[in-house]
Amino acid sequence: MDKLFLIDLGRNLTKTYSEFFRDLENKTFLHPIIRVSNPYEVFLLITRSLLAGVTVDLLDSDLSDSEINRLGITDKDLSEQLELERIHIPDFETFKGYVLLGSKTWKIGLYTSGTTGRPKKVYHSFSSLTRNVKVGPKYTDNIWAFAYNPTHVAGVQVFFQALMNQNSIVFVFDLEKQKIPFVLENYKVTNISATPTFYRTILPLFEKPVETVYRVTLGGEKFDPGLEGALRKVFPNAKIVNIYASTEAGTLLSTDGEFFSIPEGKEGYFKIAEDGELLVHKEYLGESTDIVLDGEWYHTGDIVEFTEDGRIRFVGRKNEMINVGGYKVNPNEVEEEIKKIDGVVDAYVYARKNQLTGNILVAEVVLRDKENNKQEMEKIIYEKLRRSLQNWKIPRIIKFVDEIKVTRTGKKVRQ
Amino acid sequence: MGMENVKEIVLRAINKVLEKKGKQPLSELDEKLSLRNDLGFDSLDLAELTVRIEDETGIDIFEHGIIDKISEVLERVKISG
Repeated sequence: MDKLFLIDLGRNLTKTYSEFFRDLENKTFLHPIIRVSNPYEVFLLITRSLLAGVTVDLLDSDLSDSEINRLGITDKDLSEQLELERIHIPDFETFKGYVLLGSKTWKIGLYTSGTTGRPKKVYHSFSSLTRNVKVGPKYTDNIWAFAYNPTHVAGVQVFFQALMNQNSIVFVFDLEKQKIPFVLENYKVTNISATPTFYRTILPLFEKPVETVYRVTLGGEKFDPGLEGALRKVFPNAKIVNIYASTEAGTLLSTDGEFFSIPEGKEGYFKIAEDGELLVHKEYLGESTDIVLDGEWYHTGDIVEFTEDGRIRFVGRKNEMINVGGYKVNPNEVEEEIKKIDGVVDAYVYARKNQLTGNILVAEVVLRDKENNKQEMEKIIYEKLRRSLQNWKIPRIIKFVDEIKVTRTGKKVRQ
Repeated sequence: MGMENVKEIVLRAINKVLEKKGKQPLSELDEKLSLRNDLGFDSLDLAELTVRIEDETGIDIFEHGIIDKISEVLERVKISG
């Protein structure tokens, strides 16, 4: 039987595993920097590079040219291409053989917001990305609703979980939200993994429970107990699992509630600093020249606390990174872009809490000419930012102020 | 807070979000409309809307669960206000 590989209703595209294998065979060239917007192409190119054992970098397709420049990538880098050796994939067993071979040398570079303003690149090996992937007869019939950005670490992990079990993937990440209840029902989806923001956006659209879903995974943002209750109503047969992961480390911990336990035998990889920050041992991380280590330890920037029975709970962030619906934004990067705009003297970007996306960005902006038409100026700022920043990095509220309050050391006050 | 006032605040907040999306503003509030299905609000649009309403009324419309219809939004602001 030819199993379905991908159903992407938004793009009117369906591929079976045989078709996917044929497309892999027909790919004889590869750009080492992957920058495509069609999810099927993203999956195809990731997989093809894996089979060839060739290291690739994965870019968000919506990155602007100036964002790409800041990553240090030139036009020459983008146009580079490699010729690949021919492969023949008659069946899934052969496919797995290629994966085994290629995974020995394959690496994938993913980008994440850096604390210094410049995004940083982190390399993952197949083994670090599939650390939590489970393969076996129990998982063969899973059908995944794919709800992450396919170029981000969580998306790549879900992709491998589905791929290595030859599961079907229903792409819902950018599907019109009102279609999602029907799609989950119609394709008998069993597994869904997404950010809390994604669930909060779709839950009010369900008119009846979806019985087929047996596992619901949340990741990328703080745990939300209210959301858990709402999820149980819509997915009554599902086990709800909360994941703690980062681009640097992949999936670190998982739990069925608010409290995480460090898995047995892995205690040595985790440490809590005096100020409560969670530290992870370098052997547990991806590989990156951009990650700053403190000896053998990586500072996650997440503040945790111990409960009485030795489990841990996340209480907040230590650094300036702002989590907007599961995407980490460095406010400094956004301020820099606003300050480049003609007529702007200074800018200050901070987080405003809300129940839906955790935070949204607010910008205080000082104009050179106070008499400038504010409405006109707001329009100009949005036009510029849409060209220079990805959507989630653009402040949703702009406030024009006479001055930005700074502390005595000259540092801006972050709330 | 009077009902007229509440409607004005909600309408203004919705139109601000619509305007930034490049969509036509609403001339009046149709209570049956769904923020997601009819107005096409995504998660960031919804987040912006709650913050704009909270700034004017002090009320967090999603505090007691995430809602979708304009009638529900008005209800939340009216009850808490």
